[in-house]
Amino acid sequence: MLGTALSVGYSLATGFERAAEAADLPDVIARFEFEDRAEADRRVAALPNLEARAYRAESTRVRLSHGTNSSERGVVHLVGPGRRGYAIVEGRDVRDRPGELVVERGLAEEWDVRVGERLNFEFSDVPWRVVGIAVGPDNVAFPLARAPRIYISLTAVERIVAPEPILVNLALIWTRDPSRVDVTLQQARATSYGVDDLRFVTRDGVRVLLDQAAGIVVALLVAFAVITLVAAGVMLGVSAHADVQRRLQTIGVQRALGFPRRTIVGAHAVAAVLVALPAGVVGLAAGALIAAGPTAGLLRVLNELSPGAALLGPLAAGLVLTVGLVGGSAAWPAWRATRRATVALLQGAELGGRAPKAGRGQGFFALGMTLARARRGRFAGTVLVLAACVGVVALLLALASLLGALRNDPGTLGKRYDTTARLPAALTGTVRELPGVKDAAPRYVAEAADSFALGEPVRLIAMPGDHTKLEAAPLASGRRVAADGEAEVGLGLAGALNLRVGGTLATQLPSGAEARFRVVGIVRALEREGRVAYVRPPRLLAGEPGLEPEIAIRLEPGADRAALGRRLRALGAEPARVGGATSSNAGLLDTLAALLRAVAGVTALVCLYALVQALTLVALERRPTIAVLRATGAGTATVAFLLAGVVLATAVPAVLLGLVLEVGVLAPVVGRLAAGYADLSPRVGVADAVLVAGGATVLCALAAGWVARRTVRAPVVEGLRAE
Amino acid sequence: MSTVSARGLVKTFGRGRAARRVLDDAAIDVAAGELVAVVGRSGSGKSTLLHLLGGLDRAETGTIEVAGERIDGRSERDLARLRARHIGFVFQFFHLVPELTGGENVALAARLPDAALGAARHAAALVERLGLAEAAGRRPHELSGGEQQRFALARALVNDPALVLADEPTGNLDPAAGALVLELLREVADEGRAVVLVTHDDGATATADRTLRLHEGRLVNVALAPPDSPFPPSAARGERVA
Repeated sequence: MLGTALSVGYSLATGFERAAEAADLPDVIARFEFEDRAEADRRVAALPNLEARAYRAESTRVRLSHGTNSSERGVVHLVGPGRRGYAIVEGRDVRDRPGELVVERGLAEEWDVRVGERLNFEFSDVPWRVVGIAVGPDNVAFPLARAPRIYISLTAVERIVAPEPILVNLALIWTRDPSRVDVTLQQARATSYGVDDLRFVTRDGVRVLLDQAAGIVVALLVAFAVITLVAAGVMLGVSAHADVQRRLQTIGVQRALGFPRRTIVGAHAVAAVLVALPAGVVGLAAGALIAAGPTAGLLRVLNELSPGAALLGPLAAGLVLTVGLVGGSAAWPAWRATRRATVALLQGAELGGRAPKAGRGQGFFALGMTLARARRGRFAGTVLVLAACVGVVALLLALASLLGALRNDPGTLGKRYDTTARLPAALTGTVRELPGVKDAAPRYVAEAADSFALGEPVRLIAMPGDHTKLEAAPLASGRRVAADGEAEVGLGLAGALNLRVGGTLATQLPSGAEARFRVVGIVRALEREGRVAYVRPPRLLAGEPGLEPEIAIRLEPGADRAALGRRLRALGAEPARVGGATSSNAGLLDTLAALLRAVAGVTALVCLYALVQALTLVALERRPTIAVLRATGAGTATVAFLLAGVVLATAVPAVLLGLVLEVGVLAPVVGRLAAGYADLSPRVGVADAVLVAGGATVLCALAAGWVARRTVRAPVVEGLRAE
Repeated sequence: MSTVSARGLVKTFGRGRAARRVLDDAAIDVAAGELVAVVGRSGSGKSTLLHLLGGLDRAETGTIEVAGERIDGRSERDLARLRARHIGFVFQFFHLVPELTGGENVALAARLPDAALGAARHAAALVERLGLAEAAGRRPHELSGGEQQRFALARALVNDPALVLADEPTGNLDPAAGALVLELLREVADEGRAVVLVTHDDGATATADRTLRLHEGRLVNVALAPPDSPFPPSAARGERVA
């Protein structure tokens, strides 16, 4: 479990930085209308804090084809001299001669393109040879990103088209001090006079954009990994503690023979470490291997790199942590045991100190339950470990459900409308009158940027009147928008720009115009990681007059969608169903599901292990009791029934506690860790809770059956001699 | 007809040079209503003999018949059923479940799947009969050794077994409590059950109808030997007991 958690958590948490470092991702990427390279360089060279710069010409909607695969949405980057901003993962980079290109890894894998093969693109009559495969972490990979991307040498193309100059529309900027990139951006904006459609994306902005593809889920997985680490720690501690408890009589003998306390404690710690070391190595390696495939798949989709050997560091730290925890967990109870009276230890230690608790029934099942509770410390520890496991499994199931909801349910975004139609705002009244429509309003969306730092993307959403009738992200503070010029901003945006109620949100619209809004409320919006602002249309339309709305439509319960669709088509618009927050890319979701399943499988195995361990300990300690029962005529079924009592006494409170833990602690914590900017809490639903309880029952039956079988195979007389 | 009959029992512990044959062609017959004491040195194989007769362990060779049924070579499942129906055990260390009261310990045997009809009522009656009614609600650590052993005896009798096997039942008791337990075992035998008693206790041999000594893996009759003789004439002659 620890290996899986470390592998998933570390790989995903550091994936972007690793890829960005490997690719030498620039601190700022500036996009603008095509311009002469010398002119662009004149402006860029004057920027403060500048370390290096490079230029590209980016052509979109280019036809690419390879074998039977083709795309009309290809992106060709003509890469100028200097630093690249992408990492070659196979083959080599392009040289300054025609006929060579580098393809992005996502494209290479999706289309099965290999180094040495040829690929057609619209600008050339003959296919060019693929000399390398690259990872460009400034975007997610194809096909999650819909446009496949290739890289070609700008100099090589210049040689072909000479003396015509190649215009560029992309500047890659590396700063000396990345923490002061805002200064560079402000100066860039100040000197951008005459440059059309100038847009900046910073390295942090890229991270945000990437996170928008699968950020919620990835963050949930990382948060889950943290929780798993804690559960693994508890389990290891309890396991080692139980082992020492089993040897208390031996400790008593050692004390009686005059062994010093330090020697006894040291021996227990060393013995535990000697067992934990190889077990830890094998366990960590197995956990990492189980998670490696799905994690690598997810990283590939996100255009990030696997940690490779860098994962060994965290795994080694995990091993040290594991071994230290086991050693400490063995030493501590041993130390406590040596403080007890030696005679008490010799008499059986745990039971000798206090009267056993009376049973609550006379049957074998009830007896099993009583036996389980007889060792209170271990019982509590086992219940805690199982509860942690159950809580984590419930969390995984809730995550899977949430994943589906994020994909399909607009309600997770606070959206109350479920259909949109791209129609003029003037037709809103007509749409409202259509049968089955409860409410409708024009919805304007503009992708703007914060005009101070320019690094933060802001989605401006404008609806006339009370927007909460159709879209109501929960209000965290302040109030709702009531007038033009006011804005409710998402918590994510408020956090990124340090905005408070009463502050000003200054945005640069796609047209280049600036629009300012007074912040009156802060909402927990999930969309775009909370980097949204709800405003009224007039001010937005003043800066962006050409902005076309879509009409958001809320349906009556049970409305006939098909009939409404026909009527909307008659008005001239194709209706679109509203989806959820995360990407609808099936490949990504499948990869994430595989990852969740892998981790859930490991966790279920841990549950089974904990149950079997608890049962085995009880069976070992109670060998005389079980032997007498067998001597009296109890068969395998009776012993299994007794052990079922043991396991159920442990599992029932554990399942209940685990579900309470999930709902009360894990879900809120994971939700907050993953998306503190939104009301997102993966609380387990009734169906998932039933599934968890059913799974636990099956595991209990398996554990009881297996241990009973093993117990009955041992001769009865062995148990009778054990006293 | 014997309630328990065993022939040619061989049992060896260990392997190779460390092998030790504790039973070597041992044979025994105990009839209903008979109390037989088995004596011998520590490690001579007395408890092993009892385990074999009760189907708790398996002999390398030999046959065993209890209440008319062969038990050698039977499956563990069959043995469990046979033990529930025909055999009762009493152990030196009582082996009462510490979390259950004395009464519950006795009643537990009545809940076995193969328990006799009316075993629960019989359990209550046994507790009454053995003078344990007042102690029935107390847990083992609150009982004296004698009381614990009487509860263990009651547990052994719940399913009305034809054969009672007692392994050093007085070994952990003071003389008075031990005498009471022996008296009860005598009563059990007098009711028509076969009782085999492994003991070091002279009092036990006095209570028994016959005393057998386990010597070099074989059972020899010492009934005619003087009480103070460590080597009774029958053993010295190597007389077989059948």
